[in-house]
Amino acid sequence: MTDSQPSPSFLARHEFLIRRLHSLSGLIPVGAYMVVHLLTNASVLAGAATFQANVDRIHSLGPILPLVEWTFIFIPILFHAILGVAFIWGAVPNTSDYPYSSNIRYMLQRATGMIAFAFIAFHIWHLHKYGEPFGGGAFDPHHATSTAGTAIQSALWIQLAYAVGVLACVYHLANGIWTMGITWGVWTSSEAQRKASYACGGFGVLLAVVGLAALSGFRMVDVEEAAAVEDRLETHRKIAEGEVAWGEEESTEEGSETSGDSPDVSSP
Amino acid sequence: MISPAKQSIPDVFDVRILRQDGPGEKSYWERHRVTHQPDMNVISVLQQIAARAETEEGKKVSPVAWDCNCLEEVCGACTMLVNGRTRQACSALVDNLLQEQPDGIELRPMSKFPVVRDLVVQRDRLFRALKKVKAWVSVDGYFDRGPGPQQSPADQQTAYPLSQCMSCGCCLEACPQYTKIEVTRREGESEADFKKREAAAFDRGFIGAHAISQAILFNIHPTGKMNAGERLDALTSEGGLQICGNAQNCVAVCPKSIPLTTSIARAGRATTLHSLKKFFDR
Repeated sequence: MTDSQPSPSFLARHEFLIRRLHSLSGLIPVGAYMVVHLLTNASVLAGAATFQANVDRIHSLGPILPLVEWTFIFIPILFHAILGVAFIWGAVPNTSDYPYSSNIRYMLQRATGMIAFAFIAFHIWHLHKYGEPFGGGAFDPHHATSTAGTAIQSALWIQLAYAVGVLACVYHLANGIWTMGITWGVWTSSEAQRKASYACGGFGVLLAVVGLAALSGFRMVDVEEAAAVEDRLETHRKIAEGEVAWGEEESTEEGSETSGDSPDVSSP
Repeated sequence: MISPAKQSIPDVFDVRILRQDGPGEKSYWERHRVTHQPDMNVISVLQQIAARAETEEGKKVSPVAWDCNCLEEVCGACTMLVNGRTRQACSALVDNLLQEQPDGIELRPMSKFPVVRDLVVQRDRLFRALKKVKAWVSVDGYFDRGPGPQQSPADQQTAYPLSQCMSCGCCLEACPQYTKIEVTRREGESEADFKKREAAAFDRGFIGAHAISQAILFNIHPTGKMNAGERLDALTSEGGLQICGNAQNCVAVCPKSIPLTTSIARAGRATTLHSLKKFFDR
């Protein structure tokens, strides 16, 4: 730094816009995605076939799915998380001197944000490529319930980590919506802010129930039964897509035990 | 006044003070004995300590320095940390403090501003923030332009609480997003250059709740409103409103009970609309 005034950096000049985009990205698309994700996962409680149908609907996007995922999920999460961690650096929490409830929520918002970042990274790592030692690493969108169930059921600490992670994400979203309402000037008076805190609290409790229901759904699911349902569904899908001709279904590389069973006549 | 707990007030009590001999020097704790008198406040405690200028161990020391002015909680000059909490020394009554914490009183200078000496801090950054948001009604000229626009009673009701701000700095002291900025003078640097560099450093930091609230106050004012856009530009510049993290300590510690978080949310709404307008009017 020189004695003359240094010209402000790009980040300094656009600090307001960047902070507002950070605020917005937490709700759209990251928060909105999380709500859809937890609701979809909770549909496992209705059975492996229902959940598989929901996953199939997402995967019907086919080759553009990675593009959609990166644009609306991964890049926004990374933007929100990396900036969020950088912002935490510039503050000094003081809950011990000023133990007010709003100050504790401020501190929790930052703590849950960091837990959520670590959890989301772990969650992707666990279900996809690298989580093999922990029952994961093999998430297969055509065997969604059985592979996710295997991953969740592999160890108690995995289930605890997911419970903590999901609750942290839910708290961060619910409290984040409340602070966002102040940041953007939706609720201004202290009375309006108090009412909004009840609404956001109620939303948080509901979403926590959905998230924990999804988790217990994967914990309780019978993996083998689910796999059988998924094999049958996959065979139907392959026949429908013309990948496999009628009568050839025994030779699918999944090695599904369709021996003797004639294909379901109700399939399209 | 009858107070049943009064009997428990001791004749003599201890005061622990975090002292500092000058800017940038190391701070150190010092313990003083104070004789209890009726209706003492922290200022009269400091007066007694200054008159005695002797520590508990009997060591002669320089009198403890502090700032004060009005002695009725309207000037904000005597803000310090009393038992760890930011407040005015003049309205901190000793009997109440000793009831809360019978083993004595702890005094520290505010932690977010550079210490000048002992309990005296330099609050230039607080006043720079008020300049940044133009917390005044502009002088319109030295000739009579007739009466200005009238203010509605509803706006008067909103503005009055905000006008009670005494720039004491409690909101800044309690804010986790407001971090200390202390610039030290370099060797060979002129006073003017140093002040310029210090001002630039202050301008990059968070302006704080008090300045946001004053910007709202003068944007409500019928004449002040004429510079509303400039104040919103200041609020959206570096170190502006966007740094607020909604911990809401400001409103909790404000000795004047100013609805600071309402001002912050109103500023949030105004800057949202102002930015959109600016973007689409380009």
